[in-house]
Amino acid sequence: MNTVIFGILTILSLFIFMNLGKIKASKKQMDRDDRIKWGGKRRPNFQQNRNGSKIIEGSAEEVSDEAKK
Amino acid sequence: MSKHSALNTFGRSGNPAFTRNFENTEVFSQSERMTLDGAVNKTAILLALCFAGAFAGWNVPALAMPGLIIGTILAFVTIFRSPAKAGSTAPFYAAFEGMALGGITVFAEMQYPGIGIQAIGLTFGILASLLFCYKSGIIKPTENFRLMIFSATMGIALLYLVSFIMSFFGSGIGFIHSNGLFGIGFSLFVVCIAALNLVLDFDFIEEGAERGLPKYMEWYGAFSLMVTLVWLYIEILRLLMKLRSR
Repeated sequence: MNTVIFGILTILSLFIFMNLGKIKASKKQMDRDDRIKWGGKRRPNFQQNRNGSKIIEGSAEEVSDEAKK
Repeated sequence: MSKHSALNTFGRSGNPAFTRNFENTEVFSQSERMTLDGAVNKTAILLALCFAGAFAGWNVPALAMPGLIIGTILAFVTIFRSPAKAGSTAPFYAAFEGMALGGITVFAEMQYPGIGIQAIGLTFGILASLLFCYKSGIIKPTENFRLMIFSATMGIALLYLVSFIMSFFGSGIGFIHSNGLFGIGFSLFVVCIAALNLVLDFDFIEEGAERGLPKYMEWYGAFSLMVTLVWLYIEILRLLMKLRSR
């Protein structure tokens, strides 16, 4: 009986791990200011870089040769 | 004054296995990036190898000691020498640690029949319940949480090391191995700390996938989870042995 109960617990737990582990954590968990900063300063991920470019259009100035001097 | 004054004083410490590997600033293509699926699948591979090793250790208990020594060396090599090669060292680590666990479990089973399956069930039960608590946001790991768990883990490691060295001189720290109330309380505390280390592993994997770290970090995340699970299993086994011996 002991083996059956703990065997079922093991299989059920592994099933939960295999399914729940692949799901992204809730927003409550991810969108926090006090998250652990693994390896130091947090930087935006690749997807954010690709979708939300930081380049400000129209504000670049043309540098003439005279201005360089 | 900063909320994290200890961190500001002593630097942003924490597990050395984790912090150094987040400093990579390269951007990788979709197929070269760490994912949650990949980390979970690789953990499943390591668990399967650990069970295979445990089967060998169960049938040939003499493999326990070589398995423990080689497994420990491989763990240190993976953490401090070649995290990028975790894909080749972590499977061997899992297999050798499995051999050690198989041998240890046979020894425990001879004294207290049925204790092995109880320890396995409780280990995976804790894994699943803490994963649920983490994913749903019930447990929120913060910098202070990490500092607390890291300090407690280092304290336990130091206590075990001192006890191990003292055992060569015929003495030791008796209360941590006794089956009295204090010994059981200490074991419970160690089980709690080992279990909370799982939360740090989940957060490490989650953030690694979010940041798009290189693919080999899937193996590294799976390896760190395996190290914690092996420790948790041994501590639960010790706790159950103390309880059964009363």
